[in-house]
Amino acid sequence: MSSKSDILAALGSGALKPHPLPQVEIAPRLDDLVGQFEASVKAVGGTLIRDNALAALQQQVASLVADGQQVISQVADVRGNRATPEDPHALRDINYAVIQGELAVAENGAVWVTEQGAGIRIAPFICENLLLVVRAEQLVANMHEALKRVNLENVGYGTFISGPSKTADIEQALVIGAHGACTLTVYLL
Amino acid sequence: MATTTTANHAEKAEIFCRDESRVDWHSKALWLLRQKRDRAASSLPEWEQLRELGSQYKLHTLSHLGQYLEQFEANCLKQGIQVHWAKDGAEHNRIVHEILAKHQVKKLVKSKSMLTEECHLNPYLEQHGIEVIDTDLGERIIQLNKQPPSHIVVPAIHLKKEEVGELFHEKIGTEKGASDPTYLTRAARQHLREQFLSADAAMTGVNMAIADQGAIVVCTNEGNADMGGNLPGLTLHSMGIDKMVPNMEAASVLLRTLARNAIGQPITTYSSFYHGPKPGGEMHIIIVDNGRTKALQDELLAESLKCIRCGGCINTCPVYRRSGGYSYNYFIPGPIGIAVGAQQDDTNTTAWACTLCGSCTYVCPTKVPLDKIIAYQRRLKAEQGKLPYGKERYMPIVGKVMGSATVFNCAMSVARFSLRHLPHAMLKPFSGAWGKYRELPKAPKTSFDTWYKQNRSK
Ligand code: SF4
Repeated sequence: MSSKSDILAALGSGALKPHPLPQVEIAPRLDDLVGQFEASVKAVGGTLIRDNALAALQQQVASLVADGQQVISQVADVRGNRATPEDPHALRDINYAVIQGELAVAENGAVWVTEQGAGIRIAPFICENLLLVVRAEQLVANMHEALKRVNLENVGYGTFISGPSKTADIEQALVIGAHGACTLTVYLL
Repeated sequence: MATTTTANHAEKAEIFCRDESRVDWHSKALWLLRQKRDRAASSLPEWEQLRELGSQYKLHTLSHLGQYLEQFEANCLKQGIQVHWAKDGAEHNRIVHEILAKHQVKKLVKSKSMLTEECHLNPYLEQHGIEVIDTDLGERIIQLNKQPPSHIVVPAIHLKKEEVGELFHEKIGTEKGASDPTYLTRAARQHLREQFLSADAAMTGVNMAIADQGAIVVCTNEGNADMGGNLPGLTLHSMGIDKMVPNMEAASVLLRTLARNAIGQPITTYSSFYHGPKPGGEMHIIIVDNGRTKALQDELLAESLKCIRCGGCINTCPVYRRSGGYSYNYFIPGPIGIAVGAQQDDTNTTAWACTLCGSCTYVCPTKVPLDKIIAYQRRLKAEQGKLPYGKERYMPIVGKVMGSATVFNCAMSVARFSLRHLPHAMLKPFSGAWGKYRELPKAPKTSFDTWYKQNRSK
């Protein structure tokens, strides 16, 4: 017998009686979603820009490019100076990545990014600094609401990103900037 | 898997307790995590509802596990994900090695996976000439220090920053004497960045496997799973059969409780859904049993498989905080380590490394009845005639004495008499380990029973 059929056979005689499939019936907290989101982004070590966000982003990226920083942008109307490569290793020297998020979550400051939005899966991780763009109408209260809207069809990879990468593995001291981006700015349009 | 050493829990704890200031520091560091967890939990009015939902989703899935595993596999195959099944650790390691050998992999970057620890994958691959780099900072520290993890979420919690500084100086060339966590973390980032960029394949653990999608979810704060998983073309993901959840709604419940309960964050920095290979790449999932179907044959032990490895029960445990992660004779320490590993401890002592205070059960986000399971593990040991040294002789007598009111009352009056009239030096040896650091109590003149009859039962 194969290991698969062995495992399935052993599961046939499990001792747990059948339990019904539960359902989430939790009313989402809907007061001041933007305010909640802003507080959450801040709490997880990120920065939220909500006033004139697109213009602020364009200006920021233009000055980065003028400075000679390596910027890859996947957002229409925001021009970087690097193209999306086929080999992810080619992005090893990227300073800034500008990426369109598809959802934002008020309770934890997370933004949902798919491989389509990122252009290439490695982009949001390999950059030193991450700039995420998300539209205010895509803001939801919590993870239940978020996962109701996430559609994985045609999405081979997607990730919720909540703040810059971090670790507390040395004596529980929080250090921002572990393996992923060292800073995160969210532009709310 | 039992460790080779035969020292029992108390002996190993004693080694840890020799440095009193370190014990205090360790205990405080973990209590800080517990406090952060309490703040995060109490910020959600629906917290208790989420715990109940977590438990219900897990019980539902575990009681229909065969069906969900098959659905999961079918959906993965549709996505071009290759699925493998392993009965035990040895088969898991063989499968992993075969895949890596086929692609001539020389260097593998690996993010945190307690399962690969359980299967002893690293030494196996190293024997076959494959370099394995653990990429979680804590795991890299203990890998360089040639130690196993002492905690499932914060694996290097037993080390002080000066020790990490010394280690990094020796292994990755940081400045001598430097111990600033930010400096050391930056140095590790540089060191590991090179490893990510030069790896031939990446491997991750799995936090949740979603049956109706054929997707797996991997949660990290550092981004190491995604740095690895998104660079080389070949990625492997190992999961125990217990990682299954039915749908996205179930995942949403666990994603709300996991990081809050582990470290007090509202969610981990990255919660990544892997749902197919990258263009031109390969994605493999290895589904592992290794004793889990056996646990499912027992109604109570089955509940230990509801665990989502948040580490909350370990942080709150008064015994773990003061005995350290290396005292348990199992690769998972603390309450959950006893619940799933006690039967493999051949010193027959870790099941007793617990006060049955129940704090673990109270914090668990999926309501694993840890204290009940630990008490049950003791019973299983007793039934096998494997009580720890000492207990084996007196426990059956205790049972008889406590079972009979007359014998018990007689015994207690002898005890009161002895405590009041005999010299303590003569009695102390009878108190065993309990009396080692404690004074014997002052005995009252009468028993509670007599006192109650005189004062309250009128
Ligand atoms: S038993 Fe519960 S509290 Fe302990 S690690 Fe597992 S999920 Fe967390």
